[in-house]
Amino acid sequence: MSESTKPSAELAPVSRCPHCGTAVEGAEDTFCCAGCEIADAIIRGAGLERYYAEREDFAPRPEPLAGGWDAVVSEPDEEGLCSIRLSVDGLRCASCVWVTENVLQRTEGVAEATVSYATGRASLRWDPHLIGIADIAGQIAALGYRPRLLGEESSPDRELLLRLGVAAFAASNVMMFSAALYAGWFGGMEPRFVALFQWVSLVLATPVALWSAAPFFSGAWAGLRNGVLHMDVPIAIAVAVLYVQGVAGTLMATDTYLDSLTMLVALLLAGRVLESRGRRRAVEAAMTLAATVPSTARRTVGDSVETVAASELRPGDHVTVGSGEELPADGSVVDGEALVGLALLTGEAEPTAVSRGHRVWAGTVLIDGALIVEVTEAAEDTVIHRMAEELRHAADRGTRPSSTDRIAPWFTGATLMAAGMTLAWWWQAAGPGAALTTMVAVLVVACPCALALSRPLAAAAGLGAAARRGLLFRSADSLLELAHVDSVVLDKTGTVTAGALDVIGAGDEDLRVAAGLERYSRHPVALALVREAVSRSIPLPAATEVREQVGVGVSGIVDGARWSIRSGGSGVVVLEGEGGYHALIRLGDAVRPDSSEAVERLKRLGLQVTLLTGDHEEAARRIGTGAGIDEVLAGVPPDRKAAWIRDRRARGGRVLFAGDGLNDGPALAAADVGVAMGTGAASSILMADGVLAAGSLLPLSTGVVVSRAAERAIFWNQLRSVMYNVTAVTAAAAGFVNPLVAAVLMPLSSALVVWGASRVEATVRRREAA
Amino acid sequence: MNSIVFLIPIAVGLAAVFLFLFLRAVRDGQFDDLDDPPKRILKDD
Repeated sequence: MSESTKPSAELAPVSRCPHCGTAVEGAEDTFCCAGCEIADAIIRGAGLERYYAEREDFAPRPEPLAGGWDAVVSEPDEEGLCSIRLSVDGLRCASCVWVTENVLQRTEGVAEATVSYATGRASLRWDPHLIGIADIAGQIAALGYRPRLLGEESSPDRELLLRLGVAAFAASNVMMFSAALYAGWFGGMEPRFVALFQWVSLVLATPVALWSAAPFFSGAWAGLRNGVLHMDVPIAIAVAVLYVQGVAGTLMATDTYLDSLTMLVALLLAGRVLESRGRRRAVEAAMTLAATVPSTARRTVGDSVETVAASELRPGDHVTVGSGEELPADGSVVDGEALVGLALLTGEAEPTAVSRGHRVWAGTVLIDGALIVEVTEAAEDTVIHRMAEELRHAADRGTRPSSTDRIAPWFTGATLMAAGMTLAWWWQAAGPGAALTTMVAVLVVACPCALALSRPLAAAAGLGAAARRGLLFRSADSLLELAHVDSVVLDKTGTVTAGALDVIGAGDEDLRVAAGLERYSRHPVALALVREAVSRSIPLPAATEVREQVGVGVSGIVDGARWSIRSGGSGVVVLEGEGGYHALIRLGDAVRPDSSEAVERLKRLGLQVTLLTGDHEEAARRIGTGAGIDEVLAGVPPDRKAAWIRDRRARGGRVLFAGDGLNDGPALAAADVGVAMGTGAASSILMADGVLAAGSLLPLSTGVVVSRAAERAIFWNQLRSVMYNVTAVTAAAAGFVNPLVAAVLMPLSSALVVWGASRVEATVRRREAA
Repeated sequence: MNSIVFLIPIAVGLAAVFLFLFLRAVRDGQFDDLDDPPKRILKDD
């Protein structure tokens, strides 16, 4: 290579693209690509230029809209409008949400558009005669954000909130009358007022006992019918005893515990509301990550090509697939040559070359080239669909009994025994009247209100703390299971590594020229080159006379010299100057930058870390060493991964598995806790116990810390509440408890549990600081 | 002391009005999304 062909970066002035902020060589306000120029035009055209002044972060570079949105079906409602929910990726600040929402609202044919600031979801209604969903999705993509299709929304649990409202209303009012009654004990009160207050209390407490507390009764009944004695049983007993005693006490003008009844039901329902909100948020967040890009196919019919939904393909159809597209069905190649990434099926990052006669599968990505494929299996018969279906069955492992549920039978038994003994003792000592009163007092203070709250509150605090740190759990059970894990098994591709096509070897100068040439291209290789240049803060040079030849490469003039890029086989592109060969740029799967730190933190928590991959020994070693993993097992096919994990569990190990692909599904299901990558396959996200939202392994170790803190909080909460119950029951059996004492003691014990749960976040923060 | 016979229904009735408003708000879905509306109000358009 001669001196004159060496690119020089010193001369050209550097500025930033006004839309996405990418460094570009050229005058002020030079756009980095046509996409950014269009985005800018759309925003200014809609009169929303305020966005540029107010935003806190640059927009992402617009990339072409992937997938076939034409195939999305939405039935018009009675007003003739279609509606859909989308997840929008890349919204980085409030202004991004605002500009997206307003651009959509100003788009002709869109009747309604709201984008949520909290979750980045868009709800759209549009007139199908004026605009198609593909154009709306295209508009979002043109701004630089990426739309994906969301499933049905889970409806929020309003009923629990209604029950809580009624219970809280009754509790606060009954408390008022009870305070007056207790004051009457000391100051004296006319019997007719006592009767009035008691009757009003009973009227207020009746809907609480019969309607608000219904979930506890139905829960207890369902448990008993299945032969399980869980926490709802002692609660239901306490509520029933309290109410029956309240009715009897009001009729016979003796003391009642109706204030304790209403307060207790309100507290327990508040715990349930918190629990169900936390769970719903986690499920919704996982669903957002699992949102998919709709898939379509270009079917060849005679001489013409038509676009159809992938599900409409039939065996025998011929489809055309181009660079960067996903294969819509299983089939065999009829014509063309291409590199296909099989990562989704085999977990191998290296693309495979296919040509006439080779088999290809739905869900794999055509990285470079073009194919005509004859469909052999479509829709539900494809390998990927059958695998996802099998996994859905495997992932359904039922609910595990919680530590509280394990205490419940003992607790109920002890309570009933204490009540029986109290009754027997007082009967022979003081007669039936005193015996019944004392027994009721025992049953009332034995209500495991604090114990029932101890787990859900601490678990909800743990779920929230983990979610704020990028680890979303579907249920509290799996989060708490994480505390007991002793080994972590990691998948390689897409988990320890980014799983995408990335530049893994290129000099800065070579990359600068290559990225300049590829600046306007939509090819996956081009996007990877530009992304890498941007991340190394290399200003993109201007390129002229750029010619892109599909399947061959790109050529153009940079810094006055002619350069070209062509494919150099698997994972390599060749940069050629005027004098021929200039440099090689290697593309492949790179270790995530923070993977080694994540592994280090897991090790510091005393966990054994293993890399389990289907890839060959050499690649696995390279990645394992890069990430600091000592135990590396290479060449393990997907089905053997699950067997390996089951084997380790059989030998007493508790295993956390993190993976991303559909092929990791069996392993996710086999592990004690399966965590999917939010950047991975939708099916793996939907069946994993937890999801890493940000595509980084760092939150895993935080999750273990959170889980341990939550488990400790639960343990202490349970100890505190059992101690309260033992003390209170002893006092009640001795005849020291009356309605006033119960009304003070019971909320106090619950408050103690709330305090214990609130310490989870504080504990995690302290651990993080250390 | 007979005033209390009138005051009790008034007090409970007042509380019941608030309960009714709360129940209606829940049914209207005002408690479905507690994260978004507080952010939305900061952006006028």
